[in-house]
Amino acid sequence: MATIMSTDRTQTGSAFDLALTETQTLVQRTARDFAREKLLPIAADIDEQGRIPAPILAELASLGFMGVYVPEDQGGAGADVVSYILAAEEINRACASTGVVMSAHNSLVCDPLLRHATPEQQQRWLAPLARGDTLGCFAMTEPAAGSDAAGMKTTALKDGSGWVINGTKNFITNGASAGTCLLFAQTEPGSRYKGITAFIIDMKAAGLSVGKIERKLGIKGSDTAQLVFENVRVGDEQRLGDIGEGFKIALGTLDGGRIGIAAQAVGIARACLEDSLEYAKGRQAFGKPIAELQAIQWMLADMATEVDAARLLTWRAATLKDRNEPFSAEAAMAKLFASDIAMKAARNCVQIFGGYGYMKDYPAERHYRDAKITEIYEGTSEIMKLVIAEDLLG
Amino acid sequence: MRFLVCIKQVPDSTTRVKVAADGKAIVTDGVTWSISPYDEYAIELALEHKDQAPDTVVSIISVGGPRTKDALRQALAMGCDDATIVGGDGADTLGPLGVANALAAAATELGPDLILCGKQASDDDQGFVGPALAEALGWPHVSQVTKIAPSAAGTEIWKETDGGHEVWKAGGPVVLTVQKSAKEPRYPSLPGIMKAKKKEIPERSVAGVDDPVKMVIVALEPPPSRGGGKIFKDGDTKAHAAELATLLRDEAKVL
Repeated sequence: MATIMSTDRTQTGSAFDLALTETQTLVQRTARDFAREKLLPIAADIDEQGRIPAPILAELASLGFMGVYVPEDQGGAGADVVSYILAAEEINRACASTGVVMSAHNSLVCDPLLRHATPEQQQRWLAPLARGDTLGCFAMTEPAAGSDAAGMKTTALKDGSGWVINGTKNFITNGASAGTCLLFAQTEPGSRYKGITAFIIDMKAAGLSVGKIERKLGIKGSDTAQLVFENVRVGDEQRLGDIGEGFKIALGTLDGGRIGIAAQAVGIARACLEDSLEYAKGRQAFGKPIAELQAIQWMLADMATEVDAARLLTWRAATLKDRNEPFSAEAAMAKLFASDIAMKAARNCVQIFGGYGYMKDYPAERHYRDAKITEIYEGTSEIMKLVIAEDLLG
Repeated sequence: MRFLVCIKQVPDSTTRVKVAADGKAIVTDGVTWSISPYDEYAIELALEHKDQAPDTVVSIISVGGPRTKDALRQALAMGCDDATIVGGDGADTLGPLGVANALAAAATELGPDLILCGKQASDDDQGFVGPALAEALGWPHVSQVTKIAPSAAGTEIWKETDGGHEVWKAGGPVVLTVQKSAKEPRYPSLPGIMKAKKKEIPERSVAGVDDPVKMVIVALEPPPSRGGGKIFKDGDTKAHAAELATLLRDEAKVL
């Protein structure tokens, strides 16, 4: 006999109000104005030069975007995760390079310190990060351990009262510019995820050096670096959470990070939609604007629908996180869907621009290159499906 | 020192304004509302002074319906200290003299040393309320202000003129209407937004305000849509230049 299973993701009390609060609207507005007036005019330059001007990062910090949902008494802005997601969409709409710097810093460093650090650690490490005085990076991936993070080879071995760290981390966003690093290392070699422990590292620590700085397809303004640890000594007071708790901390952190990347994908997809719309209204072919051709209209209609759907998934995941309810599968769905539609929107954006879409004089090719990473980092689309399937199968 | 900055909420400059079916108003559905841009420059002038002299109090006031609170909240988030709304029945339809009188009554109670207004609102561009407020209070008024340097001895005021500026000095209270200046208005920061959230916005009523001149909009019409451009395709550059000069002189009449 067929049974009706409850695979829908609505439960009592989990519906949410689509109206933004006055505060959220103001945050969105500041982010939108800043993105439109300060970031958008230089986004192509940031991509071309491969770096974000320091005054831009300084202004992001002074506006409170580097500690959006860290409480005020810990140096942050004291807003909520939904506000963070709204701001992330706006920043990424203008410049995905700047977006990822902000995302890695907020989601992958401030967030775990907020949830797991002791009050002393928060005072020492979180407050300067949340004020934006220094930038954070999250060091988990290794040359031979990406999706299989538990296979990491970097070790932290007990030495007296402290630890000695050795190993190499790869593809670290903000790796070359950060002042503080959240590092995951194996404290019980051979034990895979059970022995992974998190540490907060000062990037100026002796024995820590920045290796290769990667040359990337997109998000070129953000630096992605290799970090090399050679006998880096840290005190036990720099351990985040319990010994062996690192893998759990990392997974929880990445769950939150995925909401940020989903917002980034929504921002890029919206850039594709808005730029396509403007171009299609102005570009003439066959004696009329191409926006009057149904082939173009269908692409625009799909983009608008998918941007909205992705945004709603993202807002739901953020709302659940704000409410301290489980959001792991919802975050994975948001990231999976948003990154997928960002790629599709970017492909169609280039198509609508035609030959010009392939040229650097127009933003379409930048969106195309920037969109791809959202299907890869902070968990690939395939890993997102594993997370969702695991939730379905229990 | 206490500043009072008078602001008006207007459709945001990025909003595409549409004329309503009756031809006498604009469609307000879907409009994003903002602080009028010159008023933002006025706020920035006051806040710049507060940056240097932290004991400065910057108060904000606006006349209008309940929606006006959003503009006041935004000004608080930029860093202003307190805000007052002059609202209630009829606040939306008050004539410009009525607005000036309502502001004058509030200003008399709030007791500022200086009053700043944008030089004109971006919706109707009348530039009326600032000078009328000065008149209602019996205070002097300086227009086109781009910079101020208040001190115990009075306020030095930079007034933009054709190709330069004049420096004026006010010995006592004065109303200044502010021109765009080099310093762009600041964005409301997130910490500022969170602080603003906790502030009450007291409301005064427009009831009993003298509003002697009623203004009625007879008709609104959108500007004519732009005609298509002309593209010179065939022929050489010299011929194009000659043709362009002729058209600019005889057709566009700009030469």
